[in-house]
Amino acid sequence: MRALVITVMVATMCCPLLASDLKAPATVVAGTDFVIASAESQGGTFYLIGPSLVSKREVQNGSEISVPGDEIKSAGVYTALLCSGAGCVSTDFYVKPSSPARLSLLAHPSRVRVAEPNAISAVALVFDKFRNLVVEPAQVEFQAVAGEAQPISQSRTAANGIAWIRLTSGKKEGPIKVGAIIGPAKELRVVRQVASDACNLRIKPEWAAGKFYVSTDPVRDCSGNAVPDGTVVSFTKTDRSGKTTVDAPVKRGIARVQMPVDGNARIFVASGVVTGNELNVTGKQ
Amino acid sequence: MKYVLSISIGAVTFLLICIAWLQSGGLARERMRSSRTPDEATRLLLTQVQARNWDKALSSLANTNDVDKASFVHDLGGSNGSLLTYATLEKFDVWPLHANEQQATVRAKLHYSTAVGPLDDVRDFQVQRAGDTWKVSWPAGKLEKPAPQVIPVNYLRWDVINRGAEDDWGVQNVDSPQVRIVSMNALQRPDRVVILGEIVNEDTIPAYINVGATLLRADGNAMAQENSFDKISHILLPKQVSPYRIDFPGVQLKDIKSVRMDAKSMLVPASADPVIAVNRQRLETDPLGKKVLRGELLNQSGQIVNIPHVLASYYDGSGKVIWVSDGYVDQELQPQIPVSFAVDLPDDIAPKVQNYHVTVNHFSSSHTS
Amino acid sequence: MGKPAPANLKPLRRIKRLLSFVWEDSKTVETNLLRRPIPLTAIALLAIVVHAPFLFMELPLTTSYDANLHVFFASHYAHHWFNPWNEKWFAGFSQTTYPPLGHQWIAVFSLLVGLRMAYMLVQLAAIVLLAIGVYRFARLWVDERAASYAAAFSVFLGMVSFLVYSAGQLSTTLSAPIYLLALPYFYHWSRSADGRALLKGVVLVLAAASVHHVTLIFGSFLFALPVIWLACMDRKPETSVLSVLFRAAIFAVLAGIGVGAVLFPYWVEIIRHPIEQIPIPHASRSNLLLNMNYLINYFIVPYGALILAMPVVIWLGAGSRRLRPLMLGFWVALLLGLGGTTPVPKWLFGRAFEILTFERFTLSAALLALPIVGLIAASLIDRFGGKAAGALALASVLSMALAMGWLTWSPFHTLSGLNVNSVVEFLNRGGHDHYRYLTLGFGNALPKVSTYAHANSVDGEYNSARLLPEMTHYGSAQLTSSKFFGTAGMESLRAMLKHANNYGLKYIFVHDPYYEPMIAFAGWRQIESYDSGSITVWSKEDVPPARPIQSDAMPTPLEGLLWGTLPMGSSILAIVLAILLPDRHKARGRFVPFPVRTTEPEFAREVR
Repeated sequence: MRALVITVMVATMCCPLLASDLKAPATVVAGTDFVIASAESQGGTFYLIGPSLVSKREVQNGSEISVPGDEIKSAGVYTALLCSGAGCVSTDFYVKPSSPARLSLLAHPSRVRVAEPNAISAVALVFDKFRNLVVEPAQVEFQAVAGEAQPISQSRTAANGIAWIRLTSGKKEGPIKVGAIIGPAKELRVVRQVASDACNLRIKPEWAAGKFYVSTDPVRDCSGNAVPDGTVVSFTKTDRSGKTTVDAPVKRGIARVQMPVDGNARIFVASGVVTGNELNVTGKQ
Repeated sequence: MKYVLSISIGAVTFLLICIAWLQSGGLARERMRSSRTPDEATRLLLTQVQARNWDKALSSLANTNDVDKASFVHDLGGSNGSLLTYATLEKFDVWPLHANEQQATVRAKLHYSTAVGPLDDVRDFQVQRAGDTWKVSWPAGKLEKPAPQVIPVNYLRWDVINRGAEDDWGVQNVDSPQVRIVSMNALQRPDRVVILGEIVNEDTIPAYINVGATLLRADGNAMAQENSFDKISHILLPKQVSPYRIDFPGVQLKDIKSVRMDAKSMLVPASADPVIAVNRQRLETDPLGKKVLRGELLNQSGQIVNIPHVLASYYDGSGKVIWVSDGYVDQELQPQIPVSFAVDLPDDIAPKVQNYHVTVNHFSSSHTS
Repeated sequence: MGKPAPANLKPLRRIKRLLSFVWEDSKTVETNLLRRPIPLTAIALLAIVVHAPFLFMELPLTTSYDANLHVFFASHYAHHWFNPWNEKWFAGFSQTTYPPLGHQWIAVFSLLVGLRMAYMLVQLAAIVLLAIGVYRFARLWVDERAASYAAAFSVFLGMVSFLVYSAGQLSTTLSAPIYLLALPYFYHWSRSADGRALLKGVVLVLAAASVHHVTLIFGSFLFALPVIWLACMDRKPETSVLSVLFRAAIFAVLAGIGVGAVLFPYWVEIIRHPIEQIPIPHASRSNLLLNMNYLINYFIVPYGALILAMPVVIWLGAGSRRLRPLMLGFWVALLLGLGGTTPVPKWLFGRAFEILTFERFTLSAALLALPIVGLIAASLIDRFGGKAAGALALASVLSMALAMGWLTWSPFHTLSGLNVNSVVEFLNRGGHDHYRYLTLGFGNALPKVSTYAHANSVDGEYNSARLLPEMTHYGSAQLTSSKFFGTAGMESLRAMLKHANNYGLKYIFVHDPYYEPMIAFAGWRQIESYDSGSITVWSKEDVPPARPIQSDAMPTPLEGLLWGTLPMGSSILAIVLAILLPDRHKARGRFVPFPVRTTEPEFAREVR
């Protein structure tokens, strides 16, 4: 840290006076070797100050300083500085990202109800192999594959390293694979399409071994998908003895509860904010 | 001087000890050990219950031979990890209801300190004369136990695997469940403002939820912030609805300009068991003249529910939630054995109630909800 | 010397006769070992031999209630000497609410030997100083031999073992001897206007107050009033009672100003935040006769064999004009130490009765009785020789043995020995210290967690420093022990859990399943368990990271500076004065007999 501070101070003091004596290419691609030329033929101490690296080494021949690609992996503005007995010379140059080689793909949400327009968003961020954001325009291909269906793909141009797309969820529940491709890079995320609210919720009475049961028909959403097991169905019965409520989870597609019935009873059913049919039953003695 | 001073010091010390003994209830303690009146007999029994001295308490009954000890202990001290096993009888008040030469009825208000807060219970004791003393007659009865049986359990369970700390930030995590506050109502009560309503889990996975409210003054600054604490079911299965109630003691509704609601939801592992039916619900007036919602809980699953917690939401004619009350049940829920419960309802709200909905939250020592 | 008493005299008269022989022949060189004073060095060594093994086993840290609390306070000074604001408890509290000297000495020694052993060293020093203090104090009332017996008895005093190994009251056991050391100087100054005595006495009082102010405040009445009374009786013929009282007043004023200055941040804090909490129940306030365990804990164990001597102490004290103030002091302290067994404490302290704990007065009573007990021992040894010496030694050892045995037999067990390493490890990893935590069922192991964990807690063990309304409005003490305070305790816990989000209270460690229902219904979920499930960790998902809680109790930097310098300075000054200004009688190497001014039998000669 102390070395960095000293270097920066030296650079700050020297650069205005001696900036012109060191020559580097205006732009260099990240990770490539290049040479910095100088009028100074004597050796000295060479400093390279970049966004995430500061290096220092002794050079024998100041007129031609080779910089290995390993020292310029991060994109951004660099300052090269050569100090000898005669003083310091410096120059600035820009390192730009190399070609796209990696993607980060953000898919949201992780679960989505079926048949929801523009409910899925996929955002791709384009990086080079050194994890520099590639800000130059690049074509990103988005793909969506639901089950065994044919993949759907669309291309988007990444601006400032970012490309995105919105997708409408399908009508069938199940996973949908959302992918993004650029060059050799490919990323895949899975979004789960889940059943929507129960639709046309119906219950029916059952007597078995002298006990009264109420069960639902298979609980499905309006697209015909079975609601997931564990979804709570509330049964409410009102009869002479008072009111009875049971919150029962759906198991294997149906919810079923046993209720004592005393005389005439009215039974309602609901799941979340959705209500179903009403039953009027008479208890067996 | 020596004799006078020594004897004076001894005498004064003795006198002071006697005064303090009387002041600190030594005499009252002696009275506790007698049972010359129906009140004293009830106090004697409750003192032994307080000390959890079951054998002595049982032997002090008029019908010791008819009473099943397990049932007696279960009734007063709890069993199977029920709330009473987490309770201490802190104090009790006893007063006679009616009496004749041979029999009396004594009412006792029992105040327990429990693991979930204070618990009050009102009981009527039948007391009989036995020679010079009185003794409590305990209702004979056997502890109801579930019949030996096999209850097939096929419960659902959700587990969660989250993104690891070492994973790239872009790697997808699992979203929090979608929950929605479906109703909210702000009420002015004599000593507080109450925010209440209902919240639903709209997602297809279980949700851990908590509802908070911030009261805002006219200038937009926050006045008070509270959350629903235990007046909510924190774990909601898909499409399950829970009432919530948030109390702001010492606040006046007229000082509030608006309320900012905050429903937090998190993804947590959960299970769908047990299923608890709430039977025979009806609004009644209890022996103390208070309005209560009574009912029976029936555990339809195979495992014991140690502490059930009843949450009731009450609606007016327009379907609006006008009150939420809750209560802990002091007995455990054995499979298939009904247990009664009662939750309070304020007298001024009771006439407006047109409908109500009861949900049951629970604590089981093997796993928690 | 050694003249046998007539056999037909009643026993007490015999004792008195024997006692008078002892003093009348004090210039005679005694060759019988049993009739010579025990050298002070030997008594100090005895204290080390008896207590050092227990202390080096670190017994107080596993058996006592408060030892870990003192280590916790000391650990803060070890890291933040000049900043008494400690964020580890109560979401932040000021350590200026508790005099710091004992803790600061532990902090100093901890740099060499670690916190735990540093505590033991300071505690051992307190025990040795107590024996010396008792000797110096007893010399005001009785002769050297009786005083040496009193000092030897103090080593085995049940109350000392009770305070050290059961209560863990380091501050009381360290403050009391320093105060006892100050009293002879107070006596000499009041009686004979000795300026050196004034200086040394006042400095020692400052040091005693810097350790524990409460001991000093009550000691002022129980110890100082008898000493003033004695100084009036022993005044020089040319001196009036008024001048003795005037000098005593000067001493008191200087000591008062000094204590005000040395503990200035404490007074600022106590004025800013007077203790207005709802009183917390404490067993020492109850009527001991209504609970056998309390009677054993607060009377039989602390006094031990001293109980047998009490009637004789009263009898002898009443019979001697010179010992009468001491005896009356003992009697008052005895009544106060009995707590609610007599109405006296309630009458004297009013509302403060509900704040104070009364076992400290039992120590005062025992210390006030010891000079007369030393006198009784001397007379018994004179009368019965080796048998008496053996019996007294046995009684002493049994008194201490009872106190040590009570650590095991007592129904009140501490949790100081609980292994909390896994809890500390959890809090110190994975950013868990960004949140506050709470322990439930940890009892006295809480300070152990707090000492070594980086995370802060909303709970704490020092009730007087609590300012959070969730804790002060309910009449219960630590949240970790809520259930023992019944409804009040559980309501306090409920209030705190309700405001968990405000305090960033995310993690709860449970060592008692009793608390599980409440935290489960409040939304916490078990995430880990340790030690085969005896400790479980619970977490609430929606709690935001903890933020500093603003408090007007935070001491200013100047207060921190004063707190870090003046108390420690007073103790260093006391040590320097002890070295640079040795007592005159030591310099001269002999005692000056005090002229007899009373017709009543004389029981002690003055020390100079």
